[in-house]
Amino acid sequence: MGGELLGYRRQNGRVGVRNHVVILSVDDISNAAAEAVAGQVTGTLALPHAYGRLQYGRDLELHFRTLIGLGANPNVAAALVIGIEDKWARRVADGIAETGKPVEWVSIEGKGDLETVRQGSWMAKDLVQWASELRREPVELAELTVSIKCGESDTTTGLGSCPAVGVVVDELVDAGATVFFGETSELTGGEHLVAERCATPELRERFMELYRGYVDEIESSGADLLGSQPTEGNIAGGLSTIEEKALGNIEKTGTRPVIGVLECAEAPSNGSGLYFMDSSSAAAEHITLMAAGGAVVHLFPTGQGNVIGNPIEPVVKITANPTTAATMAEHIDVDVSGLLSRELTLPRAGELVIDSMRRTANGRLTAAEVLGHRELSLTRLYRSA
Amino acid sequence: LPDDGAHPKGHRFLIHKRGDHVGVATSDIEAGEKAIGIFMDDDSTIEVKALADVPLGHKIAIEALDSNAEVIEYGTRIGRAPQGFAVGDYVHTHNLKSARWQ
Repeated sequence: MGGELLGYRRQNGRVGVRNHVVILSVDDISNAAAEAVAGQVTGTLALPHAYGRLQYGRDLELHFRTLIGLGANPNVAAALVIGIEDKWARRVADGIAETGKPVEWVSIEGKGDLETVRQGSWMAKDLVQWASELRREPVELAELTVSIKCGESDTTTGLGSCPAVGVVVDELVDAGATVFFGETSELTGGEHLVAERCATPELRERFMELYRGYVDEIESSGADLLGSQPTEGNIAGGLSTIEEKALGNIEKTGTRPVIGVLECAEAPSNGSGLYFMDSSSAAAEHITLMAAGGAVVHLFPTGQGNVIGNPIEPVVKITANPTTAATMAEHIDVDVSGLLSRELTLPRAGELVIDSMRRTANGRLTAAEVLGHRELSLTRLYRSA
Repeated sequence: LPDDGAHPKGHRFLIHKRGDHVGVATSDIEAGEKAIGIFMDDDSTIEVKALADVPLGHKIAIEALDSNAEVIEYGTRIGRAPQGFAVGDYVHTHNLKSARWQ
């Protein structure tokens, strides 16, 4: 797993692999101002999204945890928070500021978009010039938090790309890094395999509680899930049942114990190792939650060719499907289709993945970054008031 | 490619584990073809005559199963076969159903 690793060490000691200055909307109606600032000030990245008004209870807590987590992510150098009202904008900014990084906030009520954009642009200009002088420095693999999730899965993910990522996950965990996996409902049929790997009976109980809660919610809908989970793309790729999809999915989690069980967007607190995070299996929601939990690089096995990216967390795409590698080449960072033809061994495929991950961490842009994929999707627990 | 122990074997499908009931096509298999499969856990091989076309990534039966039998892949149950199937059958949503979500 050799080779130098260069990252940005933040004020709180956490290591990032990107140096974004984000303009973070607290709510949907602040997107226009956030995007206007990003249009005015070179080097900023707007993070617009669809929610933030009239949410309440656990759903509102998750909204704040997600936004604060995204701003606090070590891939973010500095943040400008824009919201319609003072109080919530300040709450998000204060949460991010606990990391020690520079954070500013501005609200729209009482001044309007144009004045907000004027004030915000001045703040953003100063943040960008400050961030532009930060430099990468040598960091250890152990300092990285990596997330994993596959998408548009087919049987080639279970045969090739997921096992290759599983090799990498074991190496990362052994090196002292932290890895998040999730996709709660997509463990169905293999949830017992994850439960067996939970390090303590308490963790096992907590995992099963979150798993059952999520799946009960889905099953109580009474809906026919074929076509949704597995998806039409999964079925076209040869996956027949949720169990078959889950078993392929679980291949990418490697073999190490699960040392922590996290709620959506929760940061880990049990040291380094492999964590399960309760999460949607939809790619944009999942990666957004993992980025909010602090993950700085994502490994994404795909079969039929999911094109997902994330604005702040680079997403490395790995496929073992030779058709996808040929027809969607611009989206693929690592081609391990040689695993199917047996021209490539699993350890060698793992080396290809970790090499791509290391180069991505050092600054090489992923296919999704170059193609402008910045999907940010906030998970909702229930509808607004 | 360096010689790292990997060699193509002229196979048409792979099987995750010994004891699995299905293999996964690694290239399109045509009906009537005698296709070689490799067990990924011990590198042993099996030959099966395909009873139908099996596209890349789709499954071929390597064991005959009675109706409503559990179907094993990855050494674990992936569902049930309501009508069972014969060796060489194409296996997908028409003859393999989830045992969890129906």
